[in-house]
Amino acid sequence: MYPMRGSDDEKLDALFRAFQSACANPDPGVNFMPGLWQRIEARQNFAFSLRRLSSAFVTAALALSIALGAYMSIPRSIPSAYYSQTYIEALADASSLDTPQNVSPVRLDLTDPRR
Amino acid sequence: MLVDFELIRRAQKGDGSAFNEIVLAYRKRILGTITRLIARPEDVEDVAQEVFLRLYFSLDQLRKEEVFEPWLYRLTVNAAYDYLRKQRRRQEFRMSDLSEQQVMLADAAAGGRVDHDEQYNKKIRESVDALLGAVSEADRILLMLKEVEGLSLKDLEKVYKVNENALKVRLFRARQRVLKAFGEAEKREGAGVKPA
Repeated sequence: MYPMRGSDDEKLDALFRAFQSACANPDPGVNFMPGLWQRIEARQNFAFSLRRLSSAFVTAALALSIALGAYMSIPRSIPSAYYSQTYIEALADASSLDTPQNVSPVRLDLTDPRR
Repeated sequence: MLVDFELIRRAQKGDGSAFNEIVLAYRKRILGTITRLIARPEDVEDVAQEVFLRLYFSLDQLRKEEVFEPWLYRLTVNAAYDYLRKQRRRQEFRMSDLSEQQVMLADAAAGGRVDHDEQYNKKIRESVDALLGAVSEADRILLMLKEVEGLSLKDLEKVYKVNENALKVRLFRARQRVLKAFGEAEKREGAGVKPA
């Protein structure tokens, strides 16, 4: 029994002492060790599947990178001349300044349409 | 130390029987500490298993013999702290759950007759549990380790890896809060009001 007299400090100390005796070390149940090993194995299995999943993911990512690299390294069938021309050269090819409509003299019709 | 460091070395290398021996040597002590830290007898084994589970998966990090026990204490403190935090989150649900369990336990004990000593112990456990509700889970554990488990400030320094002065301040404040709650509970009892 803890004393009901004295200062609050003393009463609290006595209550803590009484609490210690009220909570004796319990005996472990018969299922303590099997239960513990079950939990250990469950955690190990989970970690193992997680490791397998992550290694599968890494392998897939690696394979995808190699495939992508190989695809990018294959030369394309587009003619190379198309890319070797500059913009100015391409423009000059498309509309040359030497064509007749650009170099012929301008003709003005000065007749009065009302006459 | 309750076990040889050689046994720990063997367990670190994956020897299951060595790990079993470590658990057998420490389980009663750990169960006792957890009983006092969480004050819920029905969950003690579960929390103790969690402690040894954490020990199993972190044993390979242990390097020095002398840190084994403070380290095991730290695992115990952390597991109890996690449990108490979860407990606080579902407190209302658990309270109704518990009272039903307690009624069932009381009925089961000696065909409905409840032993006087057990009833007294239960009352003490409930009073301390209610008083410790005045402080945080972390302070509750610190206070229990000091006041009930009887760990010295030097031991606590090793467990918490915090300097002694900081621990003293924290302990003083926690105790003051519990004392205040204790005074209020005394007043309520004196006035004939049933504590909440």
